[in-house]
Amino acid sequence: MALLKVNGISKKFGGVQAVSTFSMEVEKGKVVAIIGPNGAGKTTIFNLISKVYTSDTGSIILDGVDITRMSQTDAARQGIGRTFQNIRLFSTLSVLDNVKVACDYKAKCSMVEAIFKAPRSFKSEKAITQEALRNLEIVGMADLANEKPGNLPYGLQRRLEIARALAMNPKVLMLDEPAAGLNPEECFGLVDFLKDMLVKFDTALLIIEHRMDVVMNIGDKIYVQDFGKNIAVGTPAEIQSNPAVLVAYLGEE
Amino acid sequence: MSSFLLSLITFSAITVIGVVSIFPLTGLTGLFSFGQAAYMAIGAYVAGICAVQLNMTVIPCILIGVLTAGLVSIIIGIPTLKLRTDYFALISMCLGEAITAILRKFSTVTGGAGGLSNIPNYVGTTAIVISAIVIIAIVACFKNSSFGRMSLAIKNDELAAKSFGINVYSHKLKVYLFTSMIAGYCGGLYAFYIRFIDPSMFGWTKSSEWVIFLFFGGINSLTGSVISAILLSVLPEFLRFATEARIVMYSILILLVINFRPQGLLGEYELSLESIKKLFHKSKKLQGGGNNGTT
Repeated sequence: MALLKVNGISKKFGGVQAVSTFSMEVEKGKVVAIIGPNGAGKTTIFNLISKVYTSDTGSIILDGVDITRMSQTDAARQGIGRTFQNIRLFSTLSVLDNVKVACDYKAKCSMVEAIFKAPRSFKSEKAITQEALRNLEIVGMADLANEKPGNLPYGLQRRLEIARALAMNPKVLMLDEPAAGLNPEECFGLVDFLKDMLVKFDTALLIIEHRMDVVMNIGDKIYVQDFGKNIAVGTPAEIQSNPAVLVAYLGEE
Repeated sequence: MSSFLLSLITFSAITVIGVVSIFPLTGLTGLFSFGQAAYMAIGAYVAGICAVQLNMTVIPCILIGVLTAGLVSIIIGIPTLKLRTDYFALISMCLGEAITAILRKFSTVTGGAGGLSNIPNYVGTTAIVISAIVIIAIVACFKNSSFGRMSLAIKNDELAAKSFGINVYSHKLKVYLFTSMIAGYCGGLYAFYIRFIDPSMFGWTKSSEWVIFLFFGGINSLTGSVISAILLSVLPEFLRFATEARIVMYSILILLVINFRPQGLLGEYELSLESIKKLFHKSKKLQGGGNNGTT
């Protein structure tokens, strides 16, 4: 049984069919990549799965739970962790607090307890801080805990976004163009880092990526999108030799 | 102490409570409320009426005032907090005007535009100053808790906040309730201190004054809000020699700060034991550096 099962979701924006009956399966411990030219509807698929938009048709089942009609907040609590194409870190919070925010919804204390500093609020705060610090250590950013995200280099900001999403212990981690704007060296680092995280956090990975070296290196299964439609599914080797994909990327001869 | 100084301290403390009451809402969560003085009005009037008409003692009066303010905030908050933040700001402004209009209209209970007089003098300077300190402490606890973090996350990026499991709507509602109850409490103290209240005291000028003070002190800094509330309520008294010109001077000062320090007087700086220690270490380090230079 697949961990995440997407069954024929579609989304129409006015007259534009951004995604039409898209289906996919993501298994635990595997990396699934979605590729395709600009405007193919990749990010829309992400927004549909993470419930930023509600799909017009179809269903989304996460680990046996139907999240099709859930709010974005509830879907996140069910175990959908994600990053954004344009980095969306909380700029006024420190690096550590950015990670802590991802654990905050689990806090076992009410607001009344928090404002009167009841014993339970200390306990929950301590637990959250420890968990966040552990997460930062795993991604190798513990020494930057008190920095503001804006002061970090681009590569580390991307890494922090991933760390923040991992802190929720998501069942499926969705990364929207994690390698965008990284130099080749950082790219290699990212691939190793992602493979490492996959083992350490026992999660499934769903990525959108334009950099083929990254996708072919890390992907177990690749979905190719073009103009909202799925044109191919397969392993990296199959995709590389698929004629429909070549047409979509390079044009017809 | 002279009675002038005492009343100055008291009014500053009341302003501090008012400004601190909007800090979690406007400063941390990023919701502009131009009608927060309405909750102060509710607190003041309900407490005042309980005391004048029903001869109740001070604690129940203020408690009923605070609870009424909280109840109204829930009724207003449930439909309006779903709106985008700019529409919420507009509605909060309407709320401020609506409450003062209601107070004017129901003159049999509220005394109408003539105001509610003969309120017993239940609270003095000490009680108000202690209240202010306690409320600052409570709001500081809020800021440092997971709820303060979630507020900041919502202010920074609502969409991202949602994708980390934060229930934005219910969180906003909680914060709105919290801040309205503080404003209601502030109103109760105010009524029992000055013993006469009328609707014009709680108009939107009062609410916007609090927002301006908040910005002046630094939008993310509780310390800044407190300092600016004290500074800006004391300053007009010291500018009294300039009679007419003092409002102009006051406005110019605020414009200068907003122009040259858009992040506010203190920005994000927060006074705490740690920051004092840090400051001390820094000056020590500088001294140490100097010594090294000479040897």
